Amino acid sequence: MKKINISILIIASISITLFSLLFGPSFINPFSLDDISGKILFQLRLPRVVTSFLIGSSLGASGAILQGILRNPLADPYILGISSGSALFAAASLMAGSAFLGPSTTALLAFSGALITCGIVGALGYKDGILLPERLLLAGIGLGFLFTAVLMLFMSLSTNYGMRRALLWIFGDLSMADWSQIPWGVLLISAGLILSISRAKGLNALMLGDEIAHSLGFSPSGERLVFFTSVSLMTATSVALGGVIGFIGLLIPHIVRFLTGSDAKTLIPLSALLGAGLLTLADTIGRTVIAPSELPSGVVTSLIGAPYFLYLLRKKI
Amino acid sequence: MTKRLILAIIILLSLSRCALAAGTGRIVSLAPNVTEILYSLGLEKRVVAVTDFCDYPPEAKSKPKVGGMVNPSLEAIVRMKPDIVIMAEDGNPKELEERIRGLGINTYVVRAKRLRELPGEIERLGKALKVEKKAEKLSFEIENAIAGLRKRNPAKTGSRALFIVWPEPLIVAGPGTAINDALELLGWENIAKDAAAEYPKYSIDEIIIRSPQVIFMAKGHDASFDRRLLKKLSGVRAVKEGRVYYLGDPIMRLSPRIVEGIREMAAYGN
Repeated sequence: MKKINISILIIASISITLFSLLFGPSFINPFSLDDISGKILFQLRLPRVVTSFLIGSSLGASGAILQGILRNPLADPYILGISSGSALFAAASLMAGSAFLGPSTTALLAFSGALITCGIVGALGYKDGILLPERLLLAGIGLGFLFTAVLMLFMSLSTNYGMRRALLWIFGDLSMADWSQIPWGVLLISAGLILSISRAKGLNALMLGDEIAHSLGFSPSGERLVFFTSVSLMTATSVALGGVIGFIGLLIPHIVRFLTGSDAKTLIPLSALLGAGLLTLADTIGRTVIAPSELPSGVVTSLIGAPYFLYLLRKKI
Repeated sequence: MTKRLILAIIILLSLSRCALAAGTGRIVSLAPNVTEILYSLGLEKRVVAVTDFCDYPPEAKSKPKVGGMVNPSLEAIVRMKPDIVIMAEDGNPKELEERIRGLGINTYVVRAKRLRELPGEIERLGKALKVEKKAEKLSFEIENAIAGLRKRNPAKTGSRALFIVWPEPLIVAGPGTAINDALELLGWENIAKDAAAEYPKYSIDEIIIRSPQVIFMAKGHDASFDRRLLKKLSGVRAVKEGRVYYLGDPIMRLSPRIVEGIREMAAYGN
C-alpha cells in the first residue's frame, strides 16, 4: 500500500508539473508552436513552473525537517522568523526603490535577510554547545514578531506605491519569475535537499528524542545544526525566489506522513516532490481561472490543500 | 525548381515583413490614466488591450484586458503582440517594466505625477507615438484650461481643505500629488500638505484639530464608511457647515479629464 502511494505521489507531482506548462490564460499546444506561443512557453511559463517547483520542494522538505528537529507538528519553514526577516529586507529595498545590485537586488536582499535571521535565531537557540529546540522555536517566534513590527512601521511611513508592491511580494508572487535567478535557486535548493536527504537517518533518530539518538550513535546537536543549516538555505532561497507562501511547509509533510509513513528517507524527498506539485498546480490554477487577472498562489494552495488535509485527518487518525 | 522555391520563400518573407510593418503601432496600456490620454490623442484604434481598471472612455471597457495594474498577466500582454506597452510610474511596478523590456517589447513610462507635468508628458508621449500635432494641441488646451482656472480663483489665505481618498483606513491626498496641486490652484490650503507620504494614512484627531472648512471625498466606496467617518468628524467645521462634497474619478486620474475634475471642485466655491 505504501509503495503504491509513493508511486502515485511521484507520478502525480511530475505529471502535474509537465501539464501545467500547457495551461494559462491561453492553452498552448506543444505540437504546433507559433512565435508568440513559443515565447510565452519558454520565457514566461517555463521559468514560472521551474520557480514554483523549486519553491514548493524547498518548503515541503524544510517543513518535514523542522517538524522533526523541533519535535513540533506545528513547525513550518517560517516559524523561525525567516519569512519576516527576509520580507523586511526585501520590502526595505522595494520601498527605497533602490536597485544598487542590479535587477536581482530584492532577491539578494531577501536571501541575506533570511540568512541573517537564521544566524540570529541559531545564536539565540544555542546554549552550552547545544542547539535547543525550544529555544530555537521561541527565538524564531520572538524575532519574527519584532521584524514584522519593524516592517509594519516601515510600511506606515512609506508611500502608497512601495506599500502595495511590498505587500504583494510578501504574499508570494510568482508572476515575475524569470530565468535569471533560477541557476542560483537550483544550486542552493538542491544543496540543501542533498544535504538533508543524505542525513535522513539522523533525522529519524532525532525524532525519537535526544537520548535515544545519542544511544544510537548520533550527536543530536551536530545533526540538528546540519538540518538547521539546510533548512535555512532552502527557505532563504525560496523566499528570495517568490516571497512567502503558506500551507505547503506546514501541511504537506503531514499529508506525506499520512500516506507513506514518517521514515525521513522517504518523508523528505516526497514532501519536496508533493510540495512542488501542489504549488505548481496552485499557480497554474491561479493564473488560469480568472485570466488575465491572477489569484495569489498562496491562496489557491490553501484552498486545495486544506480540505484534503482535513479529510485525511478525519479518515486516518 | 530550387530557384523557384527560393524565390517563393523570398516573396513570402517580404510579404510577412510588410504585414509586420503595417502592424506597427499596436499599443497596450497598463494604467487607466494612460488609456484616457491615448484615447484623447485619438489612438483608440491602436490600443489593443487595457487593464481591468480602464473604464473611461466607456468604449475602453470593451477592449481586451490584460489584468490589473500591479500584476497584469505577462502572457496576456505577449499574446497581444504589442509594439509598445505604455505604463505609469505611479501605479505599475518598476520590475514589471524591466520584465516586459526583457521580453523584447518596447515600453514607455508616463512619469508625470503633478498637474504641471501633465502637458509636457502628453507632448513627449505624442512624440513617441508619432502623433505630435495632436499631442501639442491637447497639451496646449490643458495648459490653457489650467491657467484659466488659476485666474478665476485667486489664492485666498487660510481657507483649509482636505481630500479624503478612502475613509477606512483613512487615506488622504498629501503633498506632491495632483490633487494637492488642484487644491492649491483653486486657492485652498491642503491641511495634509505637510504629511510624510503622498497618500498618508491620516489621523482623525489631526483633522479635528486642523478643522478644514471644506472636505472633498472620492466617490465609489461604501457610503456607510463615509457616514461612520463623518460622525467622528462631527465637530469639524466642514461637517458642521455641510460643506462635505463628493467628487468622481476625473480628479483622481492624471489625464486630460483632470481639468473637468478641477472644475467640479471649483464649482463648490472657495
